[in-house]
Amino acid sequence: MPESIVAELSSRFGEDTIKPLTTRDETPTLRTPQEKIVAILQYLKSEIKMPFRMLYDLTAIDERAYKKEQNGHKPCDFTLVYTLFSFDRNLFLRLKVGLHGEFPSQDTITHLWPAANWYEREVYDMFGIRFNGHPHLQRILMPRTWQGYPLRKEHPARATEMGPFKLFDEKVDKEQHALQFSPEEWGLKRHSDDADFMFLNIGPQHPGTHGVLRIILQLDGENIIDAVPDIGFHHRGAEKMGERQSWHTYIPYTDRIDYLGGVNNNLAYLLAVEKLGGIDVPLRAQVIRIMLCELFRIASHLVWYGTFAQDLGQLSPVFYMFTDRERVFEIIEAICGGRMHPNWFRIGGVAQDLPKGWDTLVRNFVDYFPRKLREYDKMVMKNYLFKVRTKGIGIYTLEEAIEWGVTGPGLRACGLEWDLRKKRPYGGYENFAFEVPVAHNGDCYDRAVVRVEEMRQSLRIVQQCLEYMPAGDFKSHHPLATPPVKQHTMHDIETLIHHFLNVSWGPVIPPGEAMVCTEATKGWNSYYLVSDGNTGAYRTRIRTPSFPHMQMIPLISKGYTVADLLSILGGMDYVLADIDR
Amino acid sequence: MKWWLTKAGDPAGKVAGNTSMEDVVQQSLVFTSVERLLGWGRQNSMWPFHFGLSCCFVEMATAMTPKYDLARFGAEVIRGTPREADVMIIAGTVFIKMAPVIKRLYEQMMEPRWVISMGSCANSGGMYDIYSVVQGVDKFLPVDVYVPGCPPRPDAFMQGLLLLRDSVGKEQRPLSWVIGDQGVIRPEKTSQRERLHDQRQQMTQFKTPDEI
Repeated sequence: MPESIVAELSSRFGEDTIKPLTTRDETPTLRTPQEKIVAILQYLKSEIKMPFRMLYDLTAIDERAYKKEQNGHKPCDFTLVYTLFSFDRNLFLRLKVGLHGEFPSQDTITHLWPAANWYEREVYDMFGIRFNGHPHLQRILMPRTWQGYPLRKEHPARATEMGPFKLFDEKVDKEQHALQFSPEEWGLKRHSDDADFMFLNIGPQHPGTHGVLRIILQLDGENIIDAVPDIGFHHRGAEKMGERQSWHTYIPYTDRIDYLGGVNNNLAYLLAVEKLGGIDVPLRAQVIRIMLCELFRIASHLVWYGTFAQDLGQLSPVFYMFTDRERVFEIIEAICGGRMHPNWFRIGGVAQDLPKGWDTLVRNFVDYFPRKLREYDKMVMKNYLFKVRTKGIGIYTLEEAIEWGVTGPGLRACGLEWDLRKKRPYGGYENFAFEVPVAHNGDCYDRAVVRVEEMRQSLRIVQQCLEYMPAGDFKSHHPLATPPVKQHTMHDIETLIHHFLNVSWGPVIPPGEAMVCTEATKGWNSYYLVSDGNTGAYRTRIRTPSFPHMQMIPLISKGYTVADLLSILGGMDYVLADIDR
Repeated sequence: MKWWLTKAGDPAGKVAGNTSMEDVVQQSLVFTSVERLLGWGRQNSMWPFHFGLSCCFVEMATAMTPKYDLARFGAEVIRGTPREADVMIIAGTVFIKMAPVIKRLYEQMMEPRWVISMGSCANSGGMYDIYSVVQGVDKFLPVDVYVPGCPPRPDAFMQGLLLLRDSVGKEQRPLSWVIGDQGVIRPEKTSQRERLHDQRQQMTQFKTPDEI
């Protein structure tokens, strides 16, 4: 397949324009010249047979500190990485463009994919790379008053390197002034022919936004004319953190990306690390991982379910659902010791074997939960007011969803039966029987239908884990598995040294790059890791599902009322840390 | 007036009154000072501000659900506006972009007001010693109680709230608005680590994680 793409692109754009690169994952990766990339992307999106219709990710790498020559290419200062996905081919395609200079620039692709807008703003914000022709190239994650570009290698990582934090009154005023919204800057009119618009500022502190999110609405009466989401209030620098932590000590940070998804984040990260290191995972560890991932999916969906109903005015369901979430956490606590952030998976397996008596806990839950789900159906999904508030609200079509990079339940609610656990099985999901729920209207209600059904399917997977839990190791015997298996150590000085180094420095992962895309609780989540053969990642790129979903808010809220916006936000199921990282 | 007292969990052992004059007086009169009465009122109706920053907020919200039931301590009345709230719980990471907003929200709260710093991030920056995070909310707000954990369990949050509650009950404040120094006398903040040290040293038997 990749050869055919290379041949096709070469025949069209000239020999030697496309250079395939080898990576550790199976993703075909092509190096393309800077001046042709926009045309190539255009071709891949709309002209090629079985096109790549989704812009999955767009990011950059600061190559200036990269010691080893990667793939033999001439070192450049920055690399832009475009990742596309084709549903027809079931294939990711990575295109790289080398940029030269201290503050390079590149042509925008926002006219090809509207979803590129925020990604390009993020690259500008983090690297200082400008995009020519971008409609609104502004900082997106950092405050507008920020100096420097955090993901450049010369920018300090630690807050403690940057001097003590002081918040004088003048600074508060200055920052508040910078947050003032000016409609003209966004090309929004203040008046229509017969009315003055009102600009309503929701957030960053608002009970309905589920976190520190700000949305500015242009209103005509109660009707939304346009919306401008303002994000970045929850930016915790997780990608920069990946360059500082070792491969092993980065795992707890992944927990806190989608903080409702728990170990699902661990899995996305570790699959990429394991791919880089060529580390195998024993079957038992795989099944333990899957069981915990699905339990966390249920826990996450329960929070969504309750808060969604609450957003629409139903005050009781959230109490029932949080109580059931506690039941899930009873199992998770018994196995991992933690609740929301268990930090439980390890490179090459999991931290510990399952405790004695785990099966009773899981069995009790598997027996108990379906009844509650039926009860919730009656309480929420069949509720007349709930239906009225969600049916026909926030509709997007399948084409729009793909265009804007929507993944996960939001995509399946448009009628596309596409679950990565089925279509591109990872981490052992191919061994499980489950169905992929779909709905067809693409509105808030259908997104809810898909998620509710997903909980049942997750429960099926958990049940299969319970019944067929294989015996064996919970961690790989591969030398890079961390922490290394203790029984390998006390033989001679050689094994002792290996153990000591692996525990103190952590593993040294061979150079290369890899990404494994997983079906997380909210959509596709992946860690694109670049290693230069060191104890930590050279670049960690976290592609989260909520980021593109949030970008779509203006499109799907236009024409609805303010009350509908809460329904749209609730139905979307996002987490702020998953947007801002 | 008929009345009786029962002990929790022992409804059979109720102590009935004999409706004498003494009984009635005992049941209907309270002798206290106005300061103490106000303190008692304040400590039993701490209204939290509906404010969350990140992961910790989910655990804080969990504390209000039936398993933990924050309503037992009169602190379940979440207020959407800072002007009606008594206690601001900094539940989550304090981002540099968010700090001016937090400051302004705090300033909008009416006196008397208290701050609970919930979780490692709010306490000290925690594991996020990173460019976009303030290393502890006490860099710009006065904090009354620190709750450790990442995130703290709902139980830990409730313990923090109870500590604050006790301290609020003992606080001395002027009865009305005064100009200038408010003359607030707060009880000394005690280190829980020191207070519980001896008790914790007694704990030597621990369950292994191999068994539930």
